[in-house]
Amino acid sequence: MRQHLKRKYSLLAIAAAAVIGGTMVSPIAAQAAKPSILIWVDAPRLPGAQLYAKIMAPTVNVKVELHAQGDLLAKVQLFNRIKKGWPDVVFGPPNDVAVLRNPIINNAMALDSLLPAATWKAFGNGNNWCKGADGKTYCIKNDLAQSVLWYNTKLFKEFGYTVPTKMSELFAIGADLAKNHPGYSLGALGDQAANSSYFWPSQCPLNAEKSATRVVINSKDPHCTRVTKALQPLIDAKVYDPRSPFDAGFIKDVGQAGKLVANIGPSWYGDFVLRPASSYAVKAGEWTAAPMPIWDGEKVAYSGEYGGGIYTVSPHSKFPKEAVAFAMFMVGDKRNLVTVTNPDGSHGAPTFPAYGPGNALWAAKVNADTFWASSPYPAMAAQANKVFSGEKPVRYDTNGAWGAAFSPALAKDGNIQNALNAYATYISNLAQQLGYEVSTK
Amino acid sequence: MAKTKRYRQKNTFMYIMLAPYLLFLFFFGIVPLIMAFFEIPAKSLTNPNGGFDAFNIVLHDFRFGTAAKHVAGFMAIFVPLMIVFVIGMALMLDMNTAKWKKYLRMAYIVPASVSGAVAVLMWYVILEPTLSPFKWIINLFGVKEATQIWQTQNLVYILAFMAFFAMAGNWILIQYGSLQSISTEILEAARVDGCSAFQLAVRIKLPLIRKYVIYMGVLVFAGGLQIFVEPQLLTTSVYQGIANAWSFDQLSYTLAFTSGDFGGASALSIMLLIPSLLGALVVIYKTDMFEDAKRVRGQKIEAEG
Repeated sequence: MRQHLKRKYSLLAIAAAAVIGGTMVSPIAAQAAKPSILIWVDAPRLPGAQLYAKIMAPTVNVKVELHAQGDLLAKVQLFNRIKKGWPDVVFGPPNDVAVLRNPIINNAMALDSLLPAATWKAFGNGNNWCKGADGKTYCIKNDLAQSVLWYNTKLFKEFGYTVPTKMSELFAIGADLAKNHPGYSLGALGDQAANSSYFWPSQCPLNAEKSATRVVINSKDPHCTRVTKALQPLIDAKVYDPRSPFDAGFIKDVGQAGKLVANIGPSWYGDFVLRPASSYAVKAGEWTAAPMPIWDGEKVAYSGEYGGGIYTVSPHSKFPKEAVAFAMFMVGDKRNLVTVTNPDGSHGAPTFPAYGPGNALWAAKVNADTFWASSPYPAMAAQANKVFSGEKPVRYDTNGAWGAAFSPALAKDGNIQNALNAYATYISNLAQQLGYEVSTK
Repeated sequence: MAKTKRYRQKNTFMYIMLAPYLLFLFFFGIVPLIMAFFEIPAKSLTNPNGGFDAFNIVLHDFRFGTAAKHVAGFMAIFVPLMIVFVIGMALMLDMNTAKWKKYLRMAYIVPASVSGAVAVLMWYVILEPTLSPFKWIINLFGVKEATQIWQTQNLVYILAFMAFFAMAGNWILIQYGSLQSISTEILEAARVDGCSAFQLAVRIKLPLIRKYVIYMGVLVFAGGLQIFVEPQLLTTSVYQGIANAWSFDQLSYTLAFTSGDFGGASALSIMLLIPSLLGALVVIYKTDMFEDAKRVRGQKIEAEG
């Protein structure tokens, strides 16, 4: 009996020790005199953030952490549980602003009062994405990922093509490639590529949030079907590839094989996809970008976006002003936009800044780059204010759904309308689950 | 009296040796289970009013049916393949004629040393026609592009083979071990009675290791039901979205971490516990797995009296 009791007590003692051990680990009190902020960024933004920490060291304690974007929501929810640990400012994918504003997540604060009106004005349309239905601004857009027409000037000359200004002209080039130059490609459509390059610029209503409780999703809208009708014969003729532009096979078979003639892609496509030796490794002096071709019968040659990150500030931040100041450094300071050294030896921010004054600084850097046949900057600038605004941030994971529903369906039989319908069904389910009413108009 | 004391002392040692396990079981088994149970009624966007309706909501999730189909298809291939192949190989390995036994055992353990996460990368390269060292074999079947293989509807087969190769080797050696426990007298007697090698394997050895086979079946079943790492890795880093919420565990993870629905995730986790628990009960009560231990203890108590 005694031994039995002893056993019981020793177990209790171990349990108690474990509990006490758990609570003893308390946070170190922040210094009241010097503000401190915690920044989370992805790898391309890391050099700029680290530079900022160095510059601010005398006045602000800046801690920079590299984080996996996909984990943000999970981590924030766990921080909400323990009521501490939130980073002050986070770089993330654009749809995160709606996800983080979701009342049960509640991790994006309104930023309007934190910057002077003149600064907000200088964004132009560049920050429209961040504006909620209530007119308040919930994020700062780091970069625009507006689609432009990247094309190979050498192959265009060789095949006798002129730069298309209408989508029908681009598709005519596709038809000619199929007939006279088989094996050559106009790009891959998997993942978000088909959306950012074709469906979104064509104003296909897929994540058209009308209010906090209503979203329009209609894959059979004429703005969607004109895309699928035009692309289907060219997919069948292998001019468009159903794989992802990042697929290892596509990179090897098409990108690196020099078979890519033109490719509608985001403004970052040049430096991130076309140019790197590990990616398509296109040759110097051959490629540049043109403005988006216009859909027949339209007045504006709209762009879509593929990414285009944002900064959000946590309402739990004790120093929101300092947090916003970091975001403004990233989008408006020459030291980040032009001079910071990246791990690959290149300099400056890698993507098209959404903030007007910052963009002017960055333009000079791109214009000075001799890699391109001619500077792709004018095309990017022409499209910067033409991102179609009907596509909105929504509370569900729209980007993941392209991979989850669209790509597998497209890979299955190459039928793009079926793949789009599969996407629409998938996101309709997601939307309803998260409290949206889904309609087709 | 002296005997009793020694027995009690032995009993204490037994509990001391058991204590670490019980501690872990309590903190990482029982406590999370209780926490999960109390988490279920939490309010979320998918369950705005809260309450145990969470079970119903999860069962009607638009991904639940497909996840069930995927997991069922995977298990229908993986579980029988494992049991038949493993037992067959173990029985063959146990035949004395195997001259290369030592090397064969080695050969079985090698693929098993490739863990699930690494296996994903390995199989990705093997089955990607542009990178594969066996591309000529793949081309022979008319496959030129990765999309012809890496499709959601093919994953039941790919993942079943992946899991099979990762796990079969270990189980072959374990079952070989269980065959070694059969008394040589029985085998000799059978041989004297004119039993052929095949009859010896099927009529004598197999019934004698029946409980280990059931034990393996239950573990393989529980492991298969909870498949997570392989499809999750595929869908997040190899082919984006190819296996989104493909299995039950992934659906639970998605509910918790992309929909913020911890209640639904807990409900699904608890539902998943039930079949595994039933399996464990089968092993304990319907096989004689734990009978030896009881008998030994019974003998000791007799001695005490």
